[in-house]
Amino acid sequence: MSGDVRLRREFIATVVLLVLLALLPLVTRDVYWLGVLVVSAYFAILASSWNLLAGFTGQFSLAPAAFAMIGAYGAALSAAYYNVPPLLGLLIGTASAGLIGLVLGRIVMRLRGPYLALTTLSFAEIARLVASNSINITRGDLGLPIEAWFNDRVIWFYVFLGALAFVVCGLYLLLRSQAGLFLEAIRDDEIAAARSGVRIVFWKTAAFAISSAAAGFAGALYAYFASLVTPELGLVQQTGLVVSMSVIGGMGSLIGPVVGAFLVYVTSEWLRDVGGWQLVIFAALVIVFARLFRTGLWGLITTALPPRRRAAGKPA
Amino acid sequence: MSPLLSVQGVTKRFGGLVAVADVTFDIAPGELVGLIGPNGSGKTTLLNIMSGHLSSEQGTIRLDGEPCTGLKPQRLARRGLMRMFQLTRIFARMNVLDNLLVGGRALGLDAEEANARANALLEELQIAHVRHLDAGQLSGGQMKLLEFGCCFMRTPRLALLDEPFAAIHPTMKEIMSRFIRARHAEGQTFVLVSHDMPVIVELCPRSICMNAGRVLSDGATSQVLAAPAVIEAYLGGAAA
Amino acid sequence: MLTGALAADLAVNGLVTGLFYGLMAIGLALIFGVLRIVNFAHGEFYMVGAYAYTIVAARLGVPLVVALPTAFLFGAALGWVVERTLMRPLYANIGTWGLMRDEYAVIVTFGLSLLLVNLVDKAIGPYAFRAPALVNASRIVVGPALMSGQKVAAAVVTLATLALIALFLRFSYWGRAVRAVSQNRLGASLAGIDATAVSSLVFSLAGGLAGLAGALLSPIINASPDVGAFPAIKSYVIVVLGGMGSIPGAFIASLLLGLVESFGAVLVSYQYRDTFGLVLLILFLLFRPQGLFGERGREV
Repeated sequence: MSGDVRLRREFIATVVLLVLLALLPLVTRDVYWLGVLVVSAYFAILASSWNLLAGFTGQFSLAPAAFAMIGAYGAALSAAYYNVPPLLGLLIGTASAGLIGLVLGRIVMRLRGPYLALTTLSFAEIARLVASNSINITRGDLGLPIEAWFNDRVIWFYVFLGALAFVVCGLYLLLRSQAGLFLEAIRDDEIAAARSGVRIVFWKTAAFAISSAAAGFAGALYAYFASLVTPELGLVQQTGLVVSMSVIGGMGSLIGPVVGAFLVYVTSEWLRDVGGWQLVIFAALVIVFARLFRTGLWGLITTALPPRRRAAGKPA
Repeated sequence: MSPLLSVQGVTKRFGGLVAVADVTFDIAPGELVGLIGPNGSGKTTLLNIMSGHLSSEQGTIRLDGEPCTGLKPQRLARRGLMRMFQLTRIFARMNVLDNLLVGGRALGLDAEEANARANALLEELQIAHVRHLDAGQLSGGQMKLLEFGCCFMRTPRLALLDEPFAAIHPTMKEIMSRFIRARHAEGQTFVLVSHDMPVIVELCPRSICMNAGRVLSDGATSQVLAAPAVIEAYLGGAAA
Repeated sequence: MLTGALAADLAVNGLVTGLFYGLMAIGLALIFGVLRIVNFAHGEFYMVGAYAYTIVAARLGVPLVVALPTAFLFGAALGWVVERTLMRPLYANIGTWGLMRDEYAVIVTFGLSLLLVNLVDKAIGPYAFRAPALVNASRIVVGPALMSGQKVAAAVVTLATLALIALFLRFSYWGRAVRAVSQNRLGASLAGIDATAVSSLVFSLAGGLAGLAGALLSPIINASPDVGAFPAIKSYVIVVLGGMGSIPGAFIASLLLGLVESFGAVLVSYQYRDTFGLVLLILFLLFRPQGLFGERGREV
């Protein structure tokens, strides 16, 4: 099955990329750049989770940053008020985001395209406003401070890389199974999927829940890294970054969001010293890629390679 | 023998327009029934109601004795009611093999069975050579064959085919006819909507003719086609 | 407590705010009616208009009477360019998105929004600009309410513009062409209407109207790169409430939203006054997706 082959190729490429990244601390111990890589990994997890929902299932939610924020607050609130240990805080953050995602996903089941985008955008804004205004609980825009889990940047780098690897492996296993077939079928033609017997309600909601949980996981982890949680995590601009990274890297592929996240964030920090036009360039890239290269960078790379088994496919 | 499909008094209105009016018929297991009628006669609406895409105002539909009116298409599919659409629907960004696997896995086949079944279907429908292409890259006729094949990943109890022969190459038409005849000989039940009279005459021993939402005639195809009311419906008053 | 005088004051203020929302939302409703997409960069047309007016009037010293139409023209020009370069794949069957046109529209307009905000931020600067007011009276009595001169002037201009748009849509050839294409693109083109030209027209018009709104409000809400985000969200709410694509619906929904927010801020919660619209949007999309005046669409 060459759909499977394609997925496996992406997974292997991602693993190679992660291994290469893991070697970086041997080259540099610069605290600033390690921090940049940590945040890139955060975005990579976020972009991968969004890609599951939008790239593979066709549900264009504009709420990924909001779910990261919910996960972050889930962890931070339990740490600040109930003194739970970090692992439990992570679990609470992930679970709260996942649960809210499950409910939201069920509610917006029938919505498509711009209607879904608008509803999720509204939800995200409401969530952010609630977090911002609940000053008694969250300290609003001042932010909620919690104790950092580790203090060494190198350790944090490996923690985030490990988390990213975990998420990517999870996605690979999920997409390789029949779930992958069903989600892509729903994306391509929901009516045909229903006709074929696919449980639409279950799978659409599951995709939403899993995607939100993964986003919450990223957010919760970030909370322990930054040791301060503010509503800024849930700003629409953050979602904009996530969407841009996925589009540039290549939506609908396993590796695209990861490549996009690291590329966009590292380059934007790198260019920050030089001039600061990086965000303009990336936004322009998003438009160009959307207009001309739907499959993103990864799509460009793979179409440039010699085709392994195209038209007359003889099974290996 | 109790009917496989029992349609009783099904009625559907769209605002002031009555698309389907009090339609009643039974289909026994193993029948190959043609559903014919001029454009706008309500055939597709009826099919949509039967496959769960539309609700009916009145009437019931039973599959194997169990009521199935108002069930969603995916539940009906799992009960063995497969529907092919007039405007071809396939999964454009998935390859041909995966297109078939979706139906197989969704209906409970495990990976190996689904794979074997899919490959067998591809061979029988003579589109095995494009199995690794994305479905969106196929020609129109190949897409129709693919969608046709998707209905048979698990032997359906009832196959509803909505104009499967529309606008495709005669060779492909022949492949599909052969397939239908072969399965029919094995006892597969079909309802076939078509405007292609030669095919209806060739394949369907029985036909139901609809016009303006009602059943005009129901019986042996040769008799139905000769009925004055049916001729009038198709050709207008002058020809009868 | 809600006295009669307070209620009247809230009502007038709410209606005036609603008018301003309307100027912007009408454009979005037109775009949705003709192209069937939500323009996520709509706020940036507003922003461009605000900057155009501010720079032309404050920096170049151009008389305000000229500066206002300039803002409209800038917005319209931007709208035209966007439609020509980015919106063609939606109906001309070019580009690689094929059936996923909705997703393409979301991504491209989202990207455009990011581009414009960051471009202005880098090219001009992130600080807010103060623009000169049209009328320098600070307090004018309007019925039971007290408003700044700028607000009154802006409201007058808005009403005039909306009336012009209404007349245009109702009586002119192109206005009727717009309505025809909204109802049935294929049918309209079979009848000889150039649907692509209508799309360009509508996008330009929407850009111009949003730009004008930005200009009119820039003395009140100073121009800054992200000034458009807030009005944009209001527009989305209004278009959904009014019924996607319905112009009269958008107008009425604008006034309604203005009133709801005005009264809600006092009666329910000032802090959460921005969430009322959002909640309404979600509720409508779930339970009455055709809005107040829109039409139900069909699926299979």
